[in-house]
Amino acid sequence: MTDVFVDSFVYSLGERKIHVNETAAAGRLISSARDLESAGFRWHHVCEPTTSAYDLAKEVTGQLAESGRLGDVDAIVYATCLPLNGNAGDPAQWERTKDVKYLMDFPASRLQADFGLHKAVVIGLNQQACTAMLGSVRLAHALLQVEADWNRVLCVTADRFPEGAKYEQAYNLISDGAAACVVSRQQAAFRLVTAHQITNGGLGQAGDDETVGSYFAYTHRLVRETLERAGLAAADLDWVVTQNTNDKAWQILARLLGVGFEKVFFSSMPDVGHVISADNVVNLAELLATGRVRPGQRIALIMAGFGLNWQCLILEATEAVAAARD
Amino acid sequence: MRGTTVITGADGYLGRRLAAALLTDGDDDLVLAVRAADGAELAAKQQRLDQLLGPQARDRTRVVAADLSRDDALADVDPRAVTRIVHAAAVTRFNVERDLARRVNVNGTARLRAFATRCENLQRLAMLSTLYAAGRRHGDVLEERFDDVGFVNHYEWSKWAAEEEVLDAAGDLPVSVLRLPTLIADDDSGQVTQYNAFHNTLKLFYYGLLSLLPGDGTTPLSLATAAFTTSAVTRLLDPAIASGIYHICPDPADTATLEELIDISFTVFERDPGFQRRGLMRPLPCDQDSFEDLLSAADLLRGGPINQSLSSVSPFAHQLYLPKTFRNDALRAAWPGYAAPDPIALAETTCIRLIETKWGRRTQETP
Repeated sequence: MTDVFVDSFVYSLGERKIHVNETAAAGRLISSARDLESAGFRWHHVCEPTTSAYDLAKEVTGQLAESGRLGDVDAIVYATCLPLNGNAGDPAQWERTKDVKYLMDFPASRLQADFGLHKAVVIGLNQQACTAMLGSVRLAHALLQVEADWNRVLCVTADRFPEGAKYEQAYNLISDGAAACVVSRQQAAFRLVTAHQITNGGLGQAGDDETVGSYFAYTHRLVRETLERAGLAAADLDWVVTQNTNDKAWQILARLLGVGFEKVFFSSMPDVGHVISADNVVNLAELLATGRVRPGQRIALIMAGFGLNWQCLILEATEAVAAARD
Repeated sequence: MRGTTVITGADGYLGRRLAAALLTDGDDDLVLAVRAADGAELAAKQQRLDQLLGPQARDRTRVVAADLSRDDALADVDPRAVTRIVHAAAVTRFNVERDLARRVNVNGTARLRAFATRCENLQRLAMLSTLYAAGRRHGDVLEERFDDVGFVNHYEWSKWAAEEEVLDAAGDLPVSVLRLPTLIADDDSGQVTQYNAFHNTLKLFYYGLLSLLPGDGTTPLSLATAAFTTSAVTRLLDPAIASGIYHICPDPADTATLEELIDISFTVFERDPGFQRRGLMRPLPCDQDSFEDLLSAADLLRGGPINQSLSSVSPFAHQLYLPKTFRNDALRAAWPGYAAPDPIALAETTCIRLIETKWGRRTQETP
């Protein structure tokens, strides 16, 4: 199997940074602000009405282009949590004309054209909810195994909630946001050790409490199976980079998995909330910025989402990790 | 000689079964003491008991209002006629508030004891308690008076304190303390008409609202039916049997562990097509700190079913970290050949009925 590497983690957030109290006062939460604050949430980021999910995707891709990290891309895997964010067209046009082409204005195609990635083919991923970013890396890894002449895959995820939506899902305070990274054959900051996914369609319409209720057993199973695939033990993990959810959840899971809680990293949570499928990238970027990731260290990225889906990646830092931090 | 047995809490889950058993198996007159705020409530309870006990009970039963929070609670009962008292009235919720537990369970028992001292022909004062009056003990628990070693909820404490009220009078009164197990079904059919922490915990698991299992898997859990318990209490009311402290529970060797009970419960769940479709996993055993964290997190899920259900389960869950084995040598000596329900078979039939009735939401036959 060809070694595949991942790096160039970037993200973008909705322009308006709002305190949970303000959002509660606006009637855009289900829980009380006090309960969400007690769970570890403080601030979240919401797009201006004129900002689309695609605008967020352009923003993160632009960051890569400007820093010279976009490169010559063979494929774009464009992931959204909400399927409606997989269409960049104007809903009013569809309503006016009843022409379905306005429902197929694909943001991945736009991205290819806007950034001149003419060689790249595009793949949309929109049924993995918050796990879609990890899923896109997994898919990119698989593509690089079978497409012998491909070298680089751009993974992008971008979501914003529709105007008027409650900015809370399954007791998590939501932010609009996007993230991107590059998966390639060339040595980069992290080697992808393994990727794993579990889907339980029987819980596809699970309510918030069922989602929370199943979280521990399934996340535990996900990590256990991922470690088995990699031939690793929990003690071999140096970091666990999680999604931003109730801060008690990972205190519990860390004990159940036998991972020291000091290895669990979700520092962005008070400042950004749950950035849909971008949480792992946001947290990993913050972890890298601390300078604490050393070559040889192994990092598990873990996410649960609707569907219900659970995904996990294990990355191993290479000598290039120092450059990624800078 | 025909006597008179007073049953407090006579319209309760066990009280009404005891009344029925004593009507069938004995010849005592029964005074059925119920809590009633006024004449209308008393009449309604009288009617309900008439229906449950049948018309033949009319000649031998009298329903009286008795609020044990009042000093004159049993003023309508002639103490000279009373030969036996069964104190079944209690608040039995694990999450009962301390003040209410004190008023009803402790002070109510004290008032009943005061009444009993005036019953010059009294042959037995039987107080129904709980095995969990043992509180935070672990290991072998004998049929003896308990010291205060701390309790995991106010219910346990109040039953211990109530035991103390009657045991203090054991030199003057023919006192028996009958410590009951967790009742999970009416009888061996597995039918459930009273739901408690056992059923609520299984409900959380079945509906996918909980995937952590609090407790030490090796913790034995004494489970029984109302039918078995009623038989035992009826037997121990016989004045020919020595007064004292009795554990009404299966033999230690016939007591299932938490792990075994979860296994049989999920074996039943996993046969259910709806459960299969949802692909719910068996729960992960978790340590006490993790369970505390879960409760803390669940406290933020206000109004949701997890929060509501866990609030009824959590006051008992701490006991699952305190493995204890209840000895029942005195019971076995007093009741040779007794047979408690097989715990695994009972749990299995109960789970089947719980699924069939969706925890009581679907109508089941009247008990």
